[in-house]
Amino acid sequence: MKTKTKNIKIYCDITKCIGCRSCEMACAVEHSKSKNIYNALKEKPLPKKRVKAESSGKIIISLHCQHCQDAPCITACMSGALSKDEKTGATIQDKEKCVGCWMCVMACPFGAIVRDVENHIAVKCDLCPDRDDYACVVACPTGALFAGTEEEFRKRIEEKKAKEK
Amino acid sequence: MKYVIIGGSAAGVNAAEVLRKNDKKCDITLISEEESLLYSRCLLTYLIAGSIGEEKLYFKDRDFYKANKIKTYLGKKAISIDRKKKEMLLDDETKVLYDKLLIATGASAKTVDIKGADKRGVFTVRNIEDARRIIKMLDKVKHVVVLGGGLIGLKDAYALRVKGKEVTVVVRSQHVLSQMVDPEAATIIAGKLAASGIKIETCVAAKEIKGKGAIEEVVLDNGKTIKCELVIIGKGVEPNVEIAKKSGLKVDQGITVNQYLETSDENIFAAGDVAETRDIARGTPRVNALWPCAVAQGRVAAFNMLGKKQIYEGSLSMNSVDFFGLASISMGITKPKEGGSEIINATRGENYKKFILKNNIIVGMVLVGDISAAGVISVLIKRKIDVSSIKDMLYEDSFNYAKMLPLVRKFKDKFSEEEFRDTVISYKL
Amino acid sequence: MKRHEKRSYDPASQKMIQKAEKENIEIVWDRYDAMQPQCGFGELGICCKICNMGPCRIDPFGDGPQTGICGASKDTIVARNLVRMIASGAAAHSDHGRDIAHALLLAADGEAHDYHLKGTEKLKRTAQVYGIDTKGKSTEKIGKELGEKCLAEFGQQHGELRLLSLAPKKRQEIWRKLGIAPRGIDREIVEIMHRTHIGVDNDYKNVINHGMRAALGDGWGGSMIATELSDILFGSPEPIRATVNLGTLKKDHVNIVVHGHEPTLSDVVTDAVKDPELLALAKKYGAKGINLVGMCCTANEILMRHGLPSAGNFLQQELAILTGSVELMMVDVQCIMPALSSVANCFHTKLVTTSPKCKFPGVEHVEFKEEKALEIAKNIIRKGVENYKNRVQQRVDIPKEIKGLVAGFTTENAFRILGGKYRFTVRPLNDAIISGRLRGAAGVVGCNNPNIKHDWAHVEMVKELLRNDVLVVQTGCSAIACAKAGLLTPESAYEYAGVGLREVCEAVGIPPVLHVGSCVDNSRILLILSAVVAEGGLGEDISDLPAAGAAPEWMSEKAISIGFYFVGSGVYTVFGTPQPVMGSENVTNYITNEIEHTMGGKFAFEADPIKAAHMMIKHIDKKRKALKLGEVMYKEKTATVKK
Repeated sequence: MKTKTKNIKIYCDITKCIGCRSCEMACAVEHSKSKNIYNALKEKPLPKKRVKAESSGKIIISLHCQHCQDAPCITACMSGALSKDEKTGATIQDKEKCVGCWMCVMACPFGAIVRDVENHIAVKCDLCPDRDDYACVVACPTGALFAGTEEEFRKRIEEKKAKEK
Repeated sequence: MKYVIIGGSAAGVNAAEVLRKNDKKCDITLISEEESLLYSRCLLTYLIAGSIGEEKLYFKDRDFYKANKIKTYLGKKAISIDRKKKEMLLDDETKVLYDKLLIATGASAKTVDIKGADKRGVFTVRNIEDARRIIKMLDKVKHVVVLGGGLIGLKDAYALRVKGKEVTVVVRSQHVLSQMVDPEAATIIAGKLAASGIKIETCVAAKEIKGKGAIEEVVLDNGKTIKCELVIIGKGVEPNVEIAKKSGLKVDQGITVNQYLETSDENIFAAGDVAETRDIARGTPRVNALWPCAVAQGRVAAFNMLGKKQIYEGSLSMNSVDFFGLASISMGITKPKEGGSEIINATRGENYKKFILKNNIIVGMVLVGDISAAGVISVLIKRKIDVSSIKDMLYEDSFNYAKMLPLVRKFKDKFSEEEFRDTVISYKL
Repeated sequence: MKRHEKRSYDPASQKMIQKAEKENIEIVWDRYDAMQPQCGFGELGICCKICNMGPCRIDPFGDGPQTGICGASKDTIVARNLVRMIASGAAAHSDHGRDIAHALLLAADGEAHDYHLKGTEKLKRTAQVYGIDTKGKSTEKIGKELGEKCLAEFGQQHGELRLLSLAPKKRQEIWRKLGIAPRGIDREIVEIMHRTHIGVDNDYKNVINHGMRAALGDGWGGSMIATELSDILFGSPEPIRATVNLGTLKKDHVNIVVHGHEPTLSDVVTDAVKDPELLALAKKYGAKGINLVGMCCTANEILMRHGLPSAGNFLQQELAILTGSVELMMVDVQCIMPALSSVANCFHTKLVTTSPKCKFPGVEHVEFKEEKALEIAKNIIRKGVENYKNRVQQRVDIPKEIKGLVAGFTTENAFRILGGKYRFTVRPLNDAIISGRLRGAAGVVGCNNPNIKHDWAHVEMVKELLRNDVLVVQTGCSAIACAKAGLLTPESAYEYAGVGLREVCEAVGIPPVLHVGSCVDNSRILLILSAVVAEGGLGEDISDLPAAGAAPEWMSEKAISIGFYFVGSGVYTVFGTPQPVMGSENVTNYITNEIEHTMGGKFAFEADPIKAAHMMIKHIDKKRKALKLGEVMYKEKTATVKK
């Protein structure tokens, strides 16, 4: 498995997201036991997605954990389940430690941490530790999702804008 | 440099961590009355309920002190500070010198002053020893009375109900959680607790705890008696300010600090449940004895002790509880006293949402059931964002970060962190 | 703004939405909110699930796949999806027509003895269109022959539908020239399914033109048969006063709601509720009587012919149950929300399905048969009456909102009244338009959709048209929306109409908005337009008329089919939210622009009802100019009044 490098997170190009929720589906499947859509649907409890396509009128964004530098969820976590991966800067979760107190849900300004009520733990984007790439990015049919650094994403958007002109 | 920290919980440990990270060479000493290592006291009720084992209480690795080269005095109590000499005295007469001192002594459980409160079988749930003792006697207990219908009392009651005990909660106020939520939310939460078998007696107080040796019953001030073998006092906490008071630091409800978390002595800082910081929603000093506040304060205090000036943004009262799958979150001012505030609320079965606004800025909220938007709202409260353009959407179940994207874009200075900017890189109107 | 105010324009509905919220009962708007955001591929029409190589999706931004696995372009995919919607919509309307034709046959044969051929005048006229020699034949004999001929048209394989001959000659020629005159009603629908199968038609214009053909088979075939034969079987409507909205439910009566579309059952139910035995039973249970109200287009059917109240339109079906006062809701086909059963379960309301085509799991099914119509109707009503004892009066909240209206206008009677004489002429209408007293006419029709505030677009659009001296004809849920807002009364002319329109309404005592029936009765609008052309002075084709159509809150596939037969008949037609075609510039351009050159009509999409109204007005003015008609008589006094 490829080691994921520093400061990578999932970005969404708002101008390209059309709310198809393919990312949500791919995320749930990736976090299932079988990693297969048909079998995933039979799992109990059903696998939980950690990304959400959200909308406000015409604006649609596929929203993921932003892996904040000074993460409010880590500050709020009273069980020590959330922490920073010193190598990658990612906000990581030790599921074993999570008790489902929802303090992180209360603290996350993006609403990117969701409750897995059946397992009574909080779940969030873990940047797909079981694969080299990112399930949502691969599934995105419009290329709205992008995994990389802020610089890379900004470059991509600027290039797109330049092309449009 | 010699850094000394009194207190080994959220604020103290996080401060120690920051100190070490930023100064590899300094001396760090930590003094704690408790011998147990780095456990999260918020999780004690989870332990009593049996939903976690004791190993899950520890929020840092066991070798944390060693790995961070922190000298510890565990099981020791600091009794006095000689501010001139910058020297502290411990209860075993050890003297500890400091250059910068952090008081993170936390808070203690409030007790009740009634007859029989000193009997065996009357507990508060504040530290690991309390929890262990309660767990030990649970086999013999069938009935429990919890004194106090606040967050602590209800969490205790919930844990014991999960263990199958017959639990009665005695509440002095008209409704449960009177400090945390409004009557509407309290009714929904109390309904959930009642449906799960917890009895709630409101507008009464315990008068006496009776029993020959072991506890037999609690007598209420309305004359009613409740049979029980265990009494839990869940009345909230009070800051441990004795040492600060004794050494002449300025103390109000808690230790008074400025925006750098500095006490009235420039070499002494305070953080956590013992510190009285500026409350963001209220704009006045307040002790918000909460885990996230303690962590943040510990970290900010440490930076200031290191001489790296950092302003503490202020504390915000906020609580999250989950009783039998019904989640509730409250934040800021939930029951505005004076006029001039606007209230937006919506109820749907067990889902309840309430927002308190002042001049189009959210100053408080209560969410019961669907709490998914809590974090998004919290940032609007903390950063005092004018929400007039999205006011109509707040109470919708569909409220989410996307709804505040235009605000993130508009108020660049209030959302200056990279993670907020990142979400609007591609956003053009 | 509170949630209920955002969801509906209608105060009665707002109250029930609040009640649903309070009692935590999930209704259509909650499900709509939960569905946000909705999939852009579906919205744009660029998702293809036609074969098992797929599903395929076209990247609308151009980076990803631009063709399906089979090579279908976005134009092909969008066009195929669109015409499949036409197929379904045309099938629904036409199957309704088939059922009416079937009922007519049974009635004429004497097998369905609870029906009588009431519309003898129309029977004769329609028989003539079908070339039936009526001389010396009994009503039943003519009815039987007509029924047979109409039924045959569903399976007809070649030639043309007979009712096309009612269209202006020029229009008929256009259809023939383009090869889109429908041969048979079912055939064109089946052919859509064939053409859109993997690997058949992939010329988007060819695909859409055929969709048009099937749609014309609906408007000038299935739907028109449904309307005309219903008039024959149940009698042609006559102007009639009635009431509308949830306030028509009664606190002290057994409330029976008939919901759905076909009049075969609802029409006999109007007799069944008068049954003395059932009335006695209702009294026995403490009710003052039996109150029969309609919902959706079934409401329009019994409203038009019997003046029975309408409890509301599409988005009010759950709300009626939420009043807690409905003993029984019987449903047949189309626009019946599957959610009804769960909402009904929250109350004592009994839901009964009646059509073999529409069953609900766990819901009682009493199958309707024409042969035993009245007996079955009574049987169902009895269940309602007996359910009165289970009503929990404390849970009853009937909004007080109730409005009067005049309904019952038809092609034949609307302007007979206008003419002031008992003859079928639209001369006064033509004269009013020619003189500029009326700017023109508009048909505002269609559904409700939670994607736009309930009723708001209908009401605001119609008000804007009235202000600008445009006479409005309405059907379906749109008519009910405007009736609730009080626009369907003669008095409303004083409040809402421009000066010229008001003068016309005053002179003849009609409302400025004419309710011509249910959604199959959109065929009446085609015939009114044809009659206006035939009357002379306003051009030779429907496309010459200063007229326009709109479906501001559309949602169903039937609406697409209706839209296409209007455009195919030469009418400029504005839909509120776009049809799922925006993923293909070519298809969008074709149906909103290019098609006008061949068809004379075209689509436009505009969700803002005021803007849409002005697009219609602009089109009407364009047509007036082309006809060299003068300016509108009262121009300056009918400018837009800002609310």
